[in-house]
Formats: sequence, structure tokens, C-alpha cells
Amino acid sequence: MPSNEPARQSSNPSHDHRPTVLELRNVSCVYGGDRPAITEISFAAQEGEIVCLLGPSGCGKTTTLRAIAGFEPVTVGEIRLESRLVSAPGHLIPTEQRRIGMVFQEYALFPHLRVQDNVAFGLQHLSSGECAAQVRLMLEMVGLTDLAARYPHELSGGQQQRVALARALVQKPAVLLLDEPFSNLDPDMAGKMREDLHDLLRRTKTTAVLVTHDHDEAFAMADRIAVLNNGRLEQLDTPEAVYHTPSTPFVADFVGQADFIPGTIEHGAVQTEIGIFPNQTGYLSGAQVVVMIRPDDIHIVPAEKSFAHIVARQFRGSENLYTVGLPSGQVVHSSEPSTTVYPIGTPVQLQLNATHTVLFDRHQNHSSAA
Amino acid sequence: MNQAAAVKPAFPDSLSLAALAVAGLLCLPLAYVAYMALTANAAIWSRLWTTRIPELLFNTTALALGVAAGTLVLGVSLAWLVARREFPGRQIWEWALVLPLAIPTYVLAYIYSHLLGTGGPVESAWQVLAGPGSHLLSPHSYAGVTLVMTLDTFPFVYLLARAAFLNLNVSYEEVARACGASRAGTLFRITLPLMRPAIVAGLSLVILYVVSDFGAVSLLRYQTLTYAVYQQITGRYDPTAASILSLLLVVVALIFLVAERWFRQRSRFFQTTGRYRAPARRQCGPLAATLATVYTTGVFAASFGVPACMLAMWSVSAVSSGAVDARFFGFVWNSAFLSGLAATCAVLIGLPLAYLASRRPSRVNLLCLQAAYAGYVLPGPVGALALLAIVSHLAPFWYGTAAVLVIAYVVHFLPAGLQSMEPALQQVTPNLEEASRSLGFGTAATLRRVTLPLVQSGFIAAWVLMFLQSMKELPATLLLRPVGFDTLAVRVWLEASEEYYQLAAPSALLIVIITIPAILLLLSKDWRAA
Repeated sequence: MPSNEPARQSSNPSHDHRPTVLELRNVSCVYGGDRPAITEISFAAQEGEIVCLLGPSGCGKTTTLRAIAGFEPVTVGEIRLESRLVSAPGHLIPTEQRRIGMVFQEYALFPHLRVQDNVAFGLQHLSSGECAAQVRLMLEMVGLTDLAARYPHELSGGQQQRVALARALVQKPAVLLLDEPFSNLDPDMAGKMREDLHDLLRRTKTTAVLVTHDHDEAFAMADRIAVLNNGRLEQLDTPEAVYHTPSTPFVADFVGQADFIPGTIEHGAVQTEIGIFPNQTGYLSGAQVVVMIRPDDIHIVPAEKSFAHIVARQFRGSENLYTVGLPSGQVVHSSEPSTTVYPIGTPVQLQLNATHTVLFDRHQNHSSAA
Repeated sequence: MNQAAAVKPAFPDSLSLAALAVAGLLCLPLAYVAYMALTANAAIWSRLWTTRIPELLFNTTALALGVAAGTLVLGVSLAWLVARREFPGRQIWEWALVLPLAIPTYVLAYIYSHLLGTGGPVESAWQVLAGPGSHLLSPHSYAGVTLVMTLDTFPFVYLLARAAFLNLNVSYEEVARACGASRAGTLFRITLPLMRPAIVAGLSLVILYVVSDFGAVSLLRYQTLTYAVYQQITGRYDPTAASILSLLLVVVALIFLVAERWFRQRSRFFQTTGRYRAPARRQCGPLAATLATVYTTGVFAASFGVPACMLAMWSVSAVSSGAVDARFFGFVWNSAFLSGLAATCAVLIGLPLAYLASRRPSRVNLLCLQAAYAGYVLPGPVGALALLAIVSHLAPFWYGTAAVLVIAYVVHFLPAGLQSMEPALQQVTPNLEEASRSLGFGTAATLRRVTLPLVQSGFIAAWVLMFLQSMKELPATLLLRPVGFDTLAVRVWLEASEEYYQLAAPSALLIVIITIPAILLLLSKDWRAA
């Protein structure tokens, strides 16, 4: 649970002068149904910014997105789009009047309409000539000009996704909402589509909120990441800050491999089984803490008389991830180059890069969802 | 296919032969009618073509289209109400609106000919309002027949549309809203177009039902092809003219069927993958809830509530006047005996066809199965006509026996039974049978110990369905029944034709009461309360 409310929020200098397009203030939603509730979510998105809502399934990230879209009413707080109040208790501007664009996980292309008619669906208010021109322009932008007359079932997954994007973007929405847009694509295709989508959003200067459970996706796409857990916002920060200085153990664990080593503050530093760490957070002497350390900050070297030894090795292509057992039974992980291979059981010495470690109170709720 | 060939014993060959023979027999009536019509004297053709055919074709088509339009409006609007809106009593109406299926058309027709008829309660009430001598709507008119048939058949459209409303992935609607479409715009531009296949399937059921209906049009004296075929056989003793009209009727039914197939092929939408989310029901305000309640109550009352009450009232007075006697129970026995025999025969005959088509889908076996569906486009009087002709030529000593009637039932209702037997067999994977074979059981033991227990419920459903339809069957029973061997359906029609409404009521009520639990049972299989 974050004690520093509102969640730690680093300012992004390049975006500061831009107008705020989307703002959530203390938003809560409650249901009797199967959807997870959200509690006191606050964040804002500036024009052209990409915000990722990241969290495990059931954390409320899709609910947040649907509240912004106007599919779910809010019970507390308010949502503003382009400074206009769109959601508040007892107040719900219908979705069609919000100027939002939405891309669903399964794309939801209208199966009875051709690609061009799918894209033109929201342009009814335009003259037919203008509508056709805009559709052509948009299809060009996503590279689907040749497929304009096809039906959705005749397209590949990647093409379907681009149609869904084109259909949402052609209306020039104030905010584009994307719900797990890459989860139906195979990994290679997803990587390519990520780059294309990022490029497209930048070119069209679109403000976007993207929901994902994949931290790599969030790192690749987001200007800022909002990490959600159990319906609460745990941290809102740049991808780098979320990875290196997570505000809670949950965030630390969720956005990448992390080990938590128990320690005690003595003589102004953290004493642990594997060494001494600086007390950056200023805990009082005698405090019980855990040190979060990532595998890329632990280096192992074989050493004859060492208390630690290798328990397992996982080959991951670009790296070898070693599991190292300590005498207390605690394990830590170390990332080594893919060509560095040690047999299991090798006694090793740990070399630590202590500058990237983060301290947490030992009694702080570690990860209620993990 | 290769595996099947590898373990092929002598047994399947005899099974295939049997299936081929059965399929041939099932096609025989249709072929015979076509043969009679096409070899008929050209003079008869031209006489019919200049006198009866234009009127009959017009009447039949107009009735089919009118009922289709009526059921479209009623079925889709009611389905939308119960699937997308929440109002008091919604859950009750949701299943109660299926009940009209339990009332055969001839029963509803005779009740409405009383209700709307001269001096009937509706006309009396109308004359209080509009002054004496004014008329509202004659049951013996195009509008009257259309009304009766619409009230009787709208549940087909309602059921399929309701399922479509509930199964539609709600993301399509949400994305339409996000694109700026209003609620009504989303309904007409997205939801209804996506439901087209389901709606068309419902309408084609309705049209086929209307085109081949005999009960309502005969009681309300509305000239359609089906009624004319019956009149040619009974009134004019002219089997050749009857066969020409029959062929025309079969062609009309086929045109509707083929059109529906073609449309379904063309508009077979592939829902893109993804998770399914059920649409939420919107709570109605007080005014909307009142309107919804008035509408559903009105339709239910007109199609089931009032008719059922009339039947109950008439039955009570018929019972108190001693109409339910030993003769009545004789009719009950006749109905049960004939229908039970027909349903049992049909299950036994359908088994090899469905088994071969699902286990060894060779071209011949699939063709056999398709042939069995010939009875679909063979309205009751047409099938009866063919059997009459065949029996009088080939086996005159069978003429007027119950056996001919049972054959007519089997030919006519096997398609409906197969639709329940086929999926039951297809759900049993061949792996289960192969596992049993690998555990040392032979073909017969495997069938008995593995396959039959698994397909049991599907086959029971098929039996119940065919039993009920045989029991309600009217035209073929009228034409083929042994002398003095009346069934409940025949009694209803005979009494109602003479306007002895009270005498007809006990038999009609019994048919309705027996049908209701079976309908609910068959529905419960794929009923999703959501």
C-alpha cells in the first residue's frame, strides 16, 4: 500500500506546457458483478502522451479504461475529458458524446462491413466525398489501402488490429483507449505492431491510454506507466523510474525479476546475508527492512570457498539466469551473459552493484496479488 | 477415413445397404408425386394453370409473407425486450412467450373463429364502442388467417432472436458507441445486421410452417396450395390434379429453403476471436416498464393466455355435460398408440442414417442423410397423397391400415428427429469407441456399453419430439386413418369444423397440456438464463 499518496509522480519536463486532455480525480467504481472494483484512482494525461495501465488480471485496469470510455459509471470522484466533466456520481455523459476512440482486445471489427465501411462507420456526419477521402487517407496511413474492400474475416490478426486502429483514429478522438491490443498476436507480430503503433500515435499526436499486463509492452510503449494492484494505483512514473525505483514491493516484483533480501539497519547501513547496502531511505537504526535487488545487479564468479552455490540455470537466449542458494535457504538470481556457463552446484561469490537497490519496510505488504 | 477402412468388418456394409434402402424409401413419396405430376395430361396442367394456380400461388405467397412480416416484428421486438431490458416479471415472460408453440394451428384457428366470428365476444365488444352493425376483422379473411398464424408461429423468431441478442459479443456495440453512434443507431446499424442469420433462420421456419399448414387454413377456409391439395383428394377425387398442385407446393417450399440456405451462406459472419462478454440489461423507468409489461402481456394473452382459458372453460362444460366418455379415451389411446409406434420406428430408422453420416461421412452416406430430409418439403396432404397412390398400386391390401399412417408420420417427422439425433452422435468422439475396442469389446458390445448410453438423451429428445408432432398431425391422419380410427387431432378438427367448440375443447386441451412440458424440456437444453 503506498504511503506517499498521491503516488510518486515524476514530472516530465517535455510535456509540462501541453494541455491536460484526460484527468481522473479520486475515481472509484463498485460493482455487484464480476468486474473488479477500483478505488481512488487519480492520474492525468497531457496531449500526445501515452499512458499505460499495467497490472495483473483483476487489478482494475480494464475497469478504469471502461470508466473513461463511459461504459461504467463512477461511484466516487470525477473524470474530465478536455476539461469537460464526463463522469461523476450520478452524472454520465454517454460514450458517443465523449470523443474517445477505442480498440478492443479482440478488435471487434463489424463482421458484416468491409474494411472501408468499418473505418467509415463513425463518419456519418460528413458528406460522402469527404468521408471517402478521410477513409482513404487513414487506410494509407496504416498501410491497408489494398485491403479496403475485404471483409474482416479475410484479414490476418495484425491487419485486423490496424483496421481497428484506423477506425478509432479516423474520428480524431481526444483520447484513444486500447485494451490489451497485442494479446491476440503472436510474439513476433506483436513486437512489430508495437513499433508501428508507437510511430503512428506519435505522428498523429494522439493521446492514448493503453491497458496491458505485460511490462515489456508497457516499457516499450509508454511515456508514463500507472501500475495498478487490487484496484489501487501503486505508482505512476516513467518506465525507467518504475523499473529502477519501484515505490512498493509489488511494483518491484511485477515489472521484472527481483529478489528481496531481509536485512537490519545497523551503523547507518543495511546489514544482510550477502553484504552491506546503503540506507538511502533513512530508516532508523534497528529497523527491519528488505533490500530489492535485480538479477542484472548481481554478478557471480566461481570461488572455491564460498557459502553460496548455483542451484539452477535457465537459458534465455540473450542471457543465462542463475539461481543461487544462500546458507539461510534464501535464493537470489543473477543474470550472466549467454556464453557464461557454470555447472549446477558450483560455489560462487556474489558481486553486487549496490547503487540500484531499493529498501522496503519488511512488514510492508509484499505482493497481495503475486 | 483410413482408420475406418482398416477396422472395417462385414457389419458396416450391411448397415450401409440398410441406410441406402431406408433413404430410397423415404424419397419414394416425393419422387412418386413428381412422377404423377410430370406424366399428367397436358390438358389438366393448362386447366389448372388458367383456373386455380394463380389464385393459390398468390394466396400462399401472400400468407407466407404476411406472417413472416408479423412474426419478424413480434419476435424481434419481444426478444429485444427480454434480452436487453429489465422490467418487473421479465423472467416469467421470457419463457412464457414460448408457450404458443404448444397450441396447434387448428386449435388456435378454431378459438379465433369463435372469438372474432360473427356474434363473438370481440365483435360484441366492438359494437358497443363503434355502434351496432360494425365489423372489426373477420377470422375467415386474409387478415384473420395472418393474425392466427402470426400468433402461433412468432416464438420461432423470438427464440432464435433472443439467443442471438444474448450471444452477441457486446464489444461490437461498445465500439459502435465509441464511434459516436447512439443507442438506437447501434441497434439498427450493428446489432440487427449481425443478427440477420438468426432472424432469417427463424423466418424460414415460420414460412415453411405456414406454407405446409393445413389446420388453420382449412378451418378458416382460406385457399392455399396445401388446402387445395386436400380438397382435390377428398372433394374431387382427382389425384392427378392434386399431384400437380403438390409438386407446385414442394417447389414453393424448396424455393424458400434454397433462398434461406443461400442467404445464410452469404451472410455467414465470422466472429473474430476474443473473449465473450454478455450484454447487460438496462433497467426500465416506470413508464417504459409499464409499456413493456402491457406489450408482453398483450401478446401472451392473445397467443396463449386467452385461448388456454377458453379451452379450459369449454372443457369444464363439456365434461359436465358428459362428453368425456369411453369414446374419448379411445381417441386418446389411438393417438398415443399411433404416435408411439411412429416415433419408435423413426428412431430405429434414423439411427443407421445418423450413425453412418457422422462416423463414415462418405458421399453416399451423407447423401442418404440428405435424402431423409426430403420429408421436410413434403406437407402432410402431399405425403398422404403419395402414399395413397403408392399403396393402391403396389399393396392394395395395406390400404386403410394403421401401417400406412405410421409410414406417413415417419417420412414427415424423421427430419425433425434427425436434427436431434445427429448432434448427439457427433458429440461422442470415435476415440471413446476405439478405447472400448482396445479394451476388448466388440462392435456390438461397444455400441451397447459406450455409444448408446452417451447418445441416450439426444435420442429420447428425438423420440419425444416425433411423438408430439405425430400426435398433433392432422391432414395425413384425416386422409389415411383406418375407418373409425379417430385421433385427438382429428376429433378437434371434425368438431371444430361443425362449430361444436365445446366438444372439441377436451381433446385440444389435452394436446396442449401434453405438449407444454415437452417444449420446456427441449428448450431447457440450450436455455441460458443469463
